[in-house]
Amino acid sequence: MANIAAQRIKREFKEVIKSEEVAKCAIKVELVNDSFTELKGEIAGPPDTPYEGGNFVLEIKVPETYPFNPPKVRFITKIWHPNISSVTGAICLDILKDQWAAAMTLRTVLLSLQALLSAAEPDDPQDAVVAKQYKEQPEMFRQTAKHWTSVYAGGPAKMSDLDDKIRRLTDMGIEEHNARVALSSYNWDLERATEQLFMTVMAKN
Amino acid sequence: MSDYFEEMGWTPLRDGEAPNSFLHMARLLRDFGMWDELGLGERLPPPASKEAISNLKDIKFDGTCQQCTVCLKDFDAASSIKSMPCRHSFHNECITPWLKKTNSCPLCRYELPTDDEDYELYKKEKKRAVQREEDVKSLHNSMFS
Repeated sequence: MANIAAQRIKREFKEVIKSEEVAKCAIKVELVNDSFTELKGEIAGPPDTPYEGGNFVLEIKVPETYPFNPPKVRFITKIWHPNISSVTGAICLDILKDQWAAAMTLRTVLLSLQALLSAAEPDDPQDAVVAKQYKEQPEMFRQTAKHWTSVYAGGPAKMSDLDDKIRRLTDMGIEEHNARVALSSYNWDLERATEQLFMTVMAKN
Repeated sequence: MSDYFEEMGWTPLRDGEAPNSFLHMARLLRDFGMWDELGLGERLPPPASKEAISNLKDIKFDGTCQQCTVCLKDFDAASSIKSMPCRHSFHNECITPWLKKTNSCPLCRYELPTDDEDYELYKKEKKRAVQREEDVKSLHNSMFS
């Protein structure tokens, strides 16, 4: 790895560890390998959002040309958000693309991602299904995002009505995550989700 | 009162001159938001012009600015420090590769001129669109208030 990239990541590491956000447990960075090319980030779901109480793990890949090019970041923890793919965890955020600037750091990236969780941009979606629900059925979106937070990010909410619907599908032999995705995508309409799931099974056979 | 061409900031075609259809196409794409849809808005703006890079001011280390925000190292007497017109300073070896990639200050996005004609035109058009919107608004206000 180019010297400037590794050296800068080392300096940033110290900055993040000393920062007050770490003291408040809002953000965290860890090394994955010794060469500083791969890191693991963690952000806490912001208060007063459906993500509150959850911990979201991020994969951070630092390119050799860092800080002249942005780090590649994606969510490892599954999340229901208009600007984050519910399938791959890919993020749609301008500073990770054309709005990157060399003075930005891992700390500012993680704080920006946290801000993205508080303020989604449904007009610039990464996940069209989620964005549509966010705009047309905000309460349904909130419930779904909260449910995903509790299942995948250790959030506190227990939503037995949603869990029951998932169980109805898993009892039919559907894998739990697939059941959750189908129900979330069809606004928790059990009939339509079932239909969609069996259509895909039939198409595969 | 200004004439139509002047108001739009355009120049009429001279005798025998053909309209620039690429320019019209570019305007059309931009006005209908297709520029971003094609992913062209997702690219970094082009590099700063060679002239702008070579005209950056050299400054002596005097302790007023302490850290280069590109490499995060502190400046010292041995550093070769360059100052942008926005007064943000960086090591020469840090700011030059950045400006060869894109034209703005890493800290505040102050834009330096580029050698890219299309980009300069695009920027001018964007500025003009904002100006026109303001003109229409003030005209509207003067008529109805």
